[in-house]
Amino acid sequence: MSEARLVQGNEACARGALAAGCTFYGGYPITPSSEIAEHMVRLLPDAGGVFVQMEDEIASLAAVIGASLAGSKAMTATSGPGFSLMQEHIGFATMAEVPCVVVDVMRGGPSTGLPTSPSQGDVMQARWGTHGDHPAIVLAPSSVGEVFDLTVRAFNLAERFRTPVILIYDEVIGHTRESVRLPDQVEIIDRVRPAPDSVDFRPKAAGPNGVPPLPAFGDGHRFHVTGLSHDERGFPTDDGAVAGALLSRIHSKVADHEDEISAAETFMLDDAEVAFFAYGIVGRSAREAVLRVREAGIKAGLIRPTTLWPFPGRQVAVAAKQVDKVIVAEMNLGQLIGEVERAAAGQAEVVGHLRADGEPITPSELVGAVTAAGGGN
Amino acid sequence: MADVKTYLREWAMPHVLCPGCAHGIVMRGFLAAIDQLQLDQDKVAVVAGIGCSSRIVGYIDFCTLHGTHGRAPAFASGLKLARPDLHVMVITGDGDGLAIGGNHLIHAARRNIDITVMLLNNSIYGMTGGQAAPTTPEGAVASTTPAGNTEPNFDACKLMIGAGASFVARVLAANPIEMSKVIADGVRHPGFSFIEIISDCPEYYGRYNKVGGGADMLTWMARRDAGVAVPLSEKKFVEHVPSSAVPLGMTTGVLERDIRPVFTGVRRQEPL
Amino acid sequence: MSEGTRGLLLSGVGGQGVILASMIVADALLGAGFDVKQSEVHGMAQRGGSVFSHIRWGEDVDSPLVPKGSAEVLAAFEWAEAIRWVEYVREGGAVVADVRTIVPPGACNDRRSWTARYPGIDVDLFNDRELKTRLIDAAATATELGNVRAANSVLLGSVAAFLDIDMAHWESAIERLVPRGTVEINLAAFRAGREFPQARVPRPPLAPEGFSGPHEIDINHVWCKGCDICSRVCPEYCLAVDVDGKLNIIDPEACTGCRLCELLCPDFAIEIHPPRSPVAVSDANTAGGGT
Repeated sequence: MSEARLVQGNEACARGALAAGCTFYGGYPITPSSEIAEHMVRLLPDAGGVFVQMEDEIASLAAVIGASLAGSKAMTATSGPGFSLMQEHIGFATMAEVPCVVVDVMRGGPSTGLPTSPSQGDVMQARWGTHGDHPAIVLAPSSVGEVFDLTVRAFNLAERFRTPVILIYDEVIGHTRESVRLPDQVEIIDRVRPAPDSVDFRPKAAGPNGVPPLPAFGDGHRFHVTGLSHDERGFPTDDGAVAGALLSRIHSKVADHEDEISAAETFMLDDAEVAFFAYGIVGRSAREAVLRVREAGIKAGLIRPTTLWPFPGRQVAVAAKQVDKVIVAEMNLGQLIGEVERAAAGQAEVVGHLRADGEPITPSELVGAVTAAGGGN
Repeated sequence: MADVKTYLREWAMPHVLCPGCAHGIVMRGFLAAIDQLQLDQDKVAVVAGIGCSSRIVGYIDFCTLHGTHGRAPAFASGLKLARPDLHVMVITGDGDGLAIGGNHLIHAARRNIDITVMLLNNSIYGMTGGQAAPTTPEGAVASTTPAGNTEPNFDACKLMIGAGASFVARVLAANPIEMSKVIADGVRHPGFSFIEIISDCPEYYGRYNKVGGGADMLTWMARRDAGVAVPLSEKKFVEHVPSSAVPLGMTTGVLERDIRPVFTGVRRQEPL
Repeated sequence: MSEGTRGLLLSGVGGQGVILASMIVADALLGAGFDVKQSEVHGMAQRGGSVFSHIRWGEDVDSPLVPKGSAEVLAAFEWAEAIRWVEYVREGGAVVADVRTIVPPGACNDRRSWTARYPGIDVDLFNDRELKTRLIDAAATATELGNVRAANSVLLGSVAAFLDIDMAHWESAIERLVPRGTVEINLAAFRAGREFPQARVPRPPLAPEGFSGPHEIDINHVWCKGCDICSRVCPEYCLAVDVDGKLNIIDPEACTGCRLCELLCPDFAIEIHPPRSPVAVSDANTAGGGT
């Protein structure tokens, strides 16, 4: 561990990327994510990496995908409108199975919205923003230290599952400075590469865990990468059976490892009668609210997912059997609440505390929400 | 010189392109250029977008990336910056490169990143069924301009020169020897090289505008060019006019060649 | 030499009818009211030898010989003869050349073995000097019109396009001088040649340096889509696509190995292989090292 020092959320993201082995950053300026780029351009060259500011967010993720195919661990970062533009290539990276990390520092939307204000309005876009059926891995930190940790995890998951991973947090976390000790060493997972001399290499034939090994361009395997439906050799096909099998495999490689990918922190949930479901900055408000309402004798707890997708439905379902009520607090007009309702499956009452006015949800608000909801009854 | 089929994924042939489509000629000319250059086949990466021309990358035996519509120069930029030892080339079309991908093309040119872009201009959107492109000449019929195109069309080479490309050339599919030579020159050029290759679309452009099939369009193409030496035959005539003497819409050959600093990304500078 | 005297050169090989053609030109010029002098050199003009004819015209012409660099038009009835005489043409002048190739017997005893080096067709030869150039496959046009023997009139028609002489003088010269019974076809050929710019489509660079046909044409029928480009561009009429869209080799002996079909095949379906030279027995025994 290094010395504790004051680090901004966006800086922690850049440092986490470097710790994870990122050697390529391509991005386009946008508030409130620009500091990530500004740190990357200072940090990457000394780490042997390359930085490029592209002409837009579409190009940014394209360059990242290109760099990843060249063997680099690569990342881009953006916010709301830029995240919309990146959906095209999130789909491409998913289909072509190119590992990469996309950071979305959420701001008020839709459209240009509230550029300097926080929001959690992109969590469904992060799941379903690109067209077609596809899996999604979306991580949501709620502190500066966790931004670092989950950035590392995002790279590791991307490499392990050969898929884009989205790291999503709101403007407050991006711009908050906290005193943290960033680890010097982190666990790093690298993509599986085929043996250099492997005969009849098939770039899209499932390897361990349904994930095909991925060589780098220029390393001796001449292969084809396409966003079209393709066969195990990676070449386009319109054979429905082949196309269906491809999508199933791409879906399953994530779905089958949901337990490994999904993660939710619980806080004082053991005896709770009312549970908050909150993520990102709201997770911190909810934690404080739990402590405050417990002082008032109300048994509250918290489920704070750090993986939004695949949705940690099992944890929610377990909690729902135990508590009477789940209060879903999110800075949007109701996005993950639908997932919570589905997971709770009627076992607990699910109510929302929703806000989309550019202001973060405060602990006091949530204390009020508990009492308004009738405490633990 | 090796057989160009050395560089072909023969098992994937025949390709999807229509009978008489000059894109196939360009594909061959491109492979001949690679052969002239004697590049390490494993170190050649070819990136394409979406469209008829972009389908070429499925048939050529290099590291090939068939990306998204118009974005090939951006994918290629990432590849090249991350792996400067690769020879990175882009095959794009006029709709792909100049309409949806215009932004990426001009910025790759402006940066002078060391990639080679081959833009196959057939004056129309072929794959989607013959809609008007930014290169469709005024008056020409397309499925979205049934009464004739009323928009002006791009001159891709002028656009690229304006954007700062350090090597700009135009060649004809009808002149495959010159085409290969210029492509090879473009690949050798340190920095961004852009080669517009005049191709054709007999299936849509030819049919809609009643200019005949692939053979007709190829010879017609040859005749439109002032600088090309007798490229083709219908076994009758060829009129050759010195290029300076006749104002024609298209000038072929290398139109811009300049040595400028090459962009390699923001990275640690290796000691010289 | 009088002021205003202009010159024209016709060149070809023996047997092509260069002399008759030059008579027609001279006759037309006379008809237009010029003083004309014509001189041909055909002393060595056995069949296949080089033949040329000088024509000069103006108000008062002294000498029939066209000085180098002064001819207004060069009409070459054969490709090598165009190259041979091109330096006689003045800056900005015109070259009308038949792309037919006739390898001189003196240089090549066996046409099939192509032992002679015959110049490739390369219009760059004319580029430096800013010449107006028309390359014509006159025989093909004449054949299409009905008689290959009218080929020279096609060429003359093209020459006429560069000279400001009334058509009537040309036509009456043709009527007077061509064999009876061929007037109509020759007039038609003359007009076709004159209207050259409207005629479609060109003619290829022939015979790259050092070619030694006939070459072997290898067609991949699985890849061939029958687009017809190859047969349309083949200068030697080796290929044809039949009604079923199948590409056939109709004249395998005629392939000179120019590779135009191979280079312009969009489907990689044609390969041209150089002629297989017979391997001497002794070579075969030592080179292969066994089986």
